[in-house]
Amino acid sequence: MATSDKIGAVMVVGGGISGLQSALDLADSGFKVYLVEKQPSIGGTMAQLDKTFPTNDCAMCIMAPKLVATGRHHNIELITNADIAKVDGQEGNFTVTGTQRALRVDASKCTGCGSCAQKCPIETTDEYNENTKVRKAIFVKYPQAVPLVYSIDQEKCIGCGICAEECKAEAVEYDQKESGFEIKVGSIIVSPGFDEFDARLKAEYGYGVYQNVVSSIEFERILSATGPYFGTVMRPSDGDIPEKIAFIQCVGSRDEKVGNEYCSGVCCMYSIKEAIIAKEHGGNIKPKIFFMDMRAFGKEFEEYYNRAQNEYGIEFVRSRIASVFEDPKTKNLVVKYVEKGEPKEEEFGLVVLAVGLTPPEDAETLSKVMKFGLNDDGFCQTGAFTPVSTSRPGVFVSGAFSSPKDIPMTVAEASGAAAKAASAIASARGTLVTKKEYPAEIDVSEQEARIGVFVCHCGINIGGVVKVPSVAEYARSLPNVVYAEENLYTCSQDTQEKIKQMVKEHNLNRVVVASCTPRTHEPLFQNTIKEAGLNPYLFEMANIRDQCSWIHLHEAAAATKKAKDLVRMAVAKSRLLESLENLTIDVNQQALVVGGGASGMVAALELAKQGVKVHLVEKEKELGGNLLKLHYLPSGDDPVEYVQSLSKEVASNQNITVYTGKKVKSIDGYVGNFKTTLESGEEIEHGTVILAVGAQEYKPEGEFLYGKNPGVMTLLEFKDKLKKGEVKGNTHAFIQCVGSREEGHPNCSRVCCTGTMTAAIKVKEKNPDAKVFVLYRDIRTYGFREKYYKDAAEKGVTFIRFDDGTKPTVEDKGGKIEVRVTDEDTGKEVLLTPDNLVLATGTRPSEGSEELAPMLKVPITKEGFFLEAHMKLRPVDFATEGVYVAGLAHGPKFLDESIGQGLAAVARAMTVLSKETLEAEGIVASLDETLCDGCGICVPTCEYKALEIVPDKKDEEKKTLDINIGLCKGCGACVGSCPSGALTQMGFSDEQIVAMIDAALEETVKNQEVKQ
Amino acid sequence: MSSATPNAQSQEKAEGDDFVPKIIVFCCNWCSYAGADLAGVSRLQMPPHFRVIRVMCSARVDPEFVLRAIQKGADGVLVAGCHPADCHYIGGNYRTRRRIALLRMLLQQFGYDPDRLRLEWISAGEGEKFQKTMVDFTKTIEEIGASPMRGGD
Amino acid sequence: MTEKHHAAHHGKKKVAGDKEWEPKIVGFLCNWCSYAGADLCGVSRFQYPTNIRLVRVMCSTRVSPHLVLDVFGAGADGILIGGCHLNDCHYMTGNFHTEKRVNLMERLLRVAGIDEARLRLEWVSASEGEKFSKVVKEFTEEMQKLGPSKVCTDDMVKAKVAAADDASETFRLKALVGKEFNLLTKGNAYGDKLDPEKLTGIIDAATEDEFERALILELARIRPMSVKQLGKVMDIPTDRILRHIVLLRQNSEIAMDHPEGFTPVYKTITIGGEQ
Repeated sequence: MATSDKIGAVMVVGGGISGLQSALDLADSGFKVYLVEKQPSIGGTMAQLDKTFPTNDCAMCIMAPKLVATGRHHNIELITNADIAKVDGQEGNFTVTGTQRALRVDASKCTGCGSCAQKCPIETTDEYNENTKVRKAIFVKYPQAVPLVYSIDQEKCIGCGICAEECKAEAVEYDQKESGFEIKVGSIIVSPGFDEFDARLKAEYGYGVYQNVVSSIEFERILSATGPYFGTVMRPSDGDIPEKIAFIQCVGSRDEKVGNEYCSGVCCMYSIKEAIIAKEHGGNIKPKIFFMDMRAFGKEFEEYYNRAQNEYGIEFVRSRIASVFEDPKTKNLVVKYVEKGEPKEEEFGLVVLAVGLTPPEDAETLSKVMKFGLNDDGFCQTGAFTPVSTSRPGVFVSGAFSSPKDIPMTVAEASGAAAKAASAIASARGTLVTKKEYPAEIDVSEQEARIGVFVCHCGINIGGVVKVPSVAEYARSLPNVVYAEENLYTCSQDTQEKIKQMVKEHNLNRVVVASCTPRTHEPLFQNTIKEAGLNPYLFEMANIRDQCSWIHLHEAAAATKKAKDLVRMAVAKSRLLESLENLTIDVNQQALVVGGGASGMVAALELAKQGVKVHLVEKEKELGGNLLKLHYLPSGDDPVEYVQSLSKEVASNQNITVYTGKKVKSIDGYVGNFKTTLESGEEIEHGTVILAVGAQEYKPEGEFLYGKNPGVMTLLEFKDKLKKGEVKGNTHAFIQCVGSREEGHPNCSRVCCTGTMTAAIKVKEKNPDAKVFVLYRDIRTYGFREKYYKDAAEKGVTFIRFDDGTKPTVEDKGGKIEVRVTDEDTGKEVLLTPDNLVLATGTRPSEGSEELAPMLKVPITKEGFFLEAHMKLRPVDFATEGVYVAGLAHGPKFLDESIGQGLAAVARAMTVLSKETLEAEGIVASLDETLCDGCGICVPTCEYKALEIVPDKKDEEKKTLDINIGLCKGCGACVGSCPSGALTQMGFSDEQIVAMIDAALEETVKNQEVKQ
Repeated sequence: MSSATPNAQSQEKAEGDDFVPKIIVFCCNWCSYAGADLAGVSRLQMPPHFRVIRVMCSARVDPEFVLRAIQKGADGVLVAGCHPADCHYIGGNYRTRRRIALLRMLLQQFGYDPDRLRLEWISAGEGEKFQKTMVDFTKTIEEIGASPMRGGD
Repeated sequence: MTEKHHAAHHGKKKVAGDKEWEPKIVGFLCNWCSYAGADLCGVSRFQYPTNIRLVRVMCSTRVSPHLVLDVFGAGADGILIGGCHLNDCHYMTGNFHTEKRVNLMERLLRVAGIDEARLRLEWVSASEGEKFSKVVKEFTEEMQKLGPSKVCTDDMVKAKVAAADDASETFRLKALVGKEFNLLTKGNAYGDKLDPEKLTGIIDAATEDEFERALILELARIRPMSVKQLGKVMDIPTDRILRHIVLLRQNSEIAMDHPEGFTPVYKTITIGGEQ
């Protein structure tokens, strides 16, 4: 296909956290994005969560900025309440047709004020709150929804006409019809997420019959401060706080009877999280988790599990649940279970079912319409080496739709899918994005402040409580205010025109809007004044709705007084506002990748495909990394063949310069402008860095006779022998968790259980009579890997569980290996005399990590893996911009996950490398050098490493501060710490904030004067 | 009016019921300000005696701001930031905690009731916590009475 | 105990002092038909019992549920509403709305535990003097049989009537009942005529909701109450009470008090903020 046929746009189907990440990455690297969502608002499942593991971050707090960024991105077009009907064409050039169902509300007019829903007389249950709350027939999914547009629930609406009467913006359109769309895009990403397993199918647990049996997602809403009980843990039958809560794991997962053999991968962790949060909300609550295997396999998950037991006192019971019965009088629940072969029962006040993840309801429809394949379990089919590709070229997948997974894996994949989607149409980058043109900026620096104030009625939302005309009148009386008016809706399109007109007519050089919250509306008004030729930072907002009229509904006089105060404060700050320039930084559009293993090579190749010059540095003589030693993949694919083909591709790619057998000596600079020196002397200039330095298998010298008896070896060593046909003997024992999940190395190494299954199955395939024993603590074959566990068991592998506290013992009896282990299920000691003892050892960071971390000022975990910027939503980023991590360097993981992260790092890097210049924040720290004495107190307050003490250029004796504007995020933490007042924060200067304080208290002072 | 000295704790009590407290609230942009907005969206009602000043991070709250507010007659100052693990700027709010602790000591030394200054973690999802905090803090300030700077009698 | 049973028991006991109990009845009559009918009744010297006190309104539709419940709340034993015959209304369709409103009043009386027979709607034209006397006679006799309203003797009934009154004043019920006639006859915003049965079901359910919520607020105003206590007093399932509490908390109408052990209690918020 000719390059010119490629379309520089991508369609992302599904607006959960996955779709948001893909859309933002693509839109930030030169592509137009159409984000299609079947619901009226984006946000997906994550928006429903209370907290996230393992950091207990508030889900909405960390997600809302991404929601808002997506909603206001000028290169992302949201198409909500929509379905895809047909996808024609091929990679690079698709035509997507679909329909947008009628919202019955004009999205361009709706201000999201909610007056309609307040008055709508029809109540129904609220899906966002899992039906624990009530919503109206005209509704928005949740208060922070994007887009914040109400829509009418067609099934429930009786057409009484009240919402239309209430809506002062005249946005309600009962006769609105569905509309079709036909859009041309070059790539497509599907990320429709998942559905929760319907617990009614497990009748023995009584879900849907007993009121106090709830699903985990319902419990998530129960825990949430925005949920039905405002965060108090209560049970649905009578609102009592349940003293004892039972969590039942694997409901609809690892269960042949319901047809879901796979493990859902996230339930163990979310149940631990829910138990911890429940405990935090009510100290007397006693949670108990009933589980089969505890699968805390992710980064720092095991420590979270340990804290749950040791710090929070949460009980864990390894068992199978037979059934749940209700005491009809107390509505308490009796849980009948089997622990160590013994039937037991216990009464609880509330039972939470950890429901598994199933393919989304519309999976089949999507697969038919978009023509890609599903796997046996109904999820999207992907390959071992192509984790984000569907069977249709040009259509990519991310998130839980390809297999159950947690948020960080989802976000990484979403970026990965964005990278693949971009590569396919790299030549069309920048062809469909728009850049807004603005008139030349008026220089206001010499002018006296001329402030215009616009006070909003917001229909009746403000005007119904606050006397808006008197606020406007008051504003006119304030110094420097030359114009003030009131508007029905200040945010409406016609008011924007009015504001521009008034700026011209009255020569306004500052604009204040008194209405709702700057969090959602500041960008709109900033854009308006920019269109009128004013610098956007000459705008200030007074929040007289969310933080005034709405919270003082019954105190009109006091609320009006407060609104006047807030306007006076905003005007006081406005008087001192200055034009701020968004500084630009030149970008060197080349990339450095450190580490030539799978993730490093994948990243290098993908960057090269997008036209970037890549420098790939590998300390070994040969590219390939750990894969060269892996030999077998559980899927049956050949890792060595794969890695060799990658190496060849890398070697022959003109955009990639390979430095093998070389180590990095130093890296200096910052985003867009790094300079790296290799130990061999080469100097490389580049704009971003991807750290893919891998990890290594732990060699347990001295443990379990390793290194002393030739029959004792690590898993990789065993696989090597297996491959070479050098395995002797017929009896093999595997010991799991060697060097993992123990003191000093508390976390799980994630891959060893599956690795053992692969080896065990291989042994049995070669010789069905071989005796294979696996000594384990928990089998953690999460996701679809569960089938290898089942396969191994079916092939006759014997699994013996030992207690977390009692390791097996190994002795050398005249060259023979004797293994003694206490089988936890029977309590009896078992003696094994294997020919080979295979130690499934943990993963250790590569030595390179510790050396590289200080060069880039990026953190590492106490175990030595790189620590990303945010465990949930920024899995491959660092706080230091322009530096990314991928693969085992970030923590133990499987090949497909490493590939996903390698791709993700590319998408993140491309948000920098696709630009010639980067625009820095306008709100940044700035320094008055005459006041700075170089004390350095501010330096550690900066989490972004933007501050450095340097010699003063004018005075060699003196030291001063250097602020790297490219790294500053504008939090102002340093400003608050400066003892000499040399630092200031643009847009939030001391003078400006003090002016607000003084204005807030002006009357107080006056009163005092009057009194005195 | 007697000339109220700052260390005359007993004179801090306002007489009569006409004492209307003046409270300055510093909210970080990402969590607490959003939490205050959510309280509004949820129509949670609270006393109208506080004025919010938005800062990007609670760590931006310079001790000078707090002292300025007190000097200008604020009866109470509340600093609200993200919960320690949630900070948009990674670790900013840990610094806030230390700063506020120091400031409370300072206030006490100058004869002010340290409870006039409070630090609260309020997340974007905690509209109700914002409400509760404002109800409770207003009550506390009403109990302590008018600031000596306002001639607390 | 049914009200009749109760009344029979009470009837003999004589309520106020030593005087034999007599029902107190209030009549609301529309100016143009029923009031004229009552006048004609007098002119024609038709006799009827003295228990009734008449209030003139311009149209029967002026008689709001609030008015009726207020009067019941004050201890009236019966209320008669008189209006023009359908299609004869001086104000075109006023009495059609009256009909819908009386439906709501009956719903509210039902949920409040007041016998619906205590409220009677009659169409009496300006020429039906005799009919008026017959209606009053019949109604008075019926009230005598029913005995005194429990509002004055039973606090729960009093609270329920007050709650019904509050419910009748909610925007939701006013809106639904106010729109009912037009929705059924003229069609809704989509141009469809609604199925009367469906609409009745919606209004019934809304009435029940609003009444129960109002009653919860009435009861929790006196002292903090738990979901279980409310369920017992109101004799409705606790999960239903909890769902109401969820909504009332959301609307800042009720607040959680300090829990008693593992059982949270709630107190009604009085306007002016939570104190």
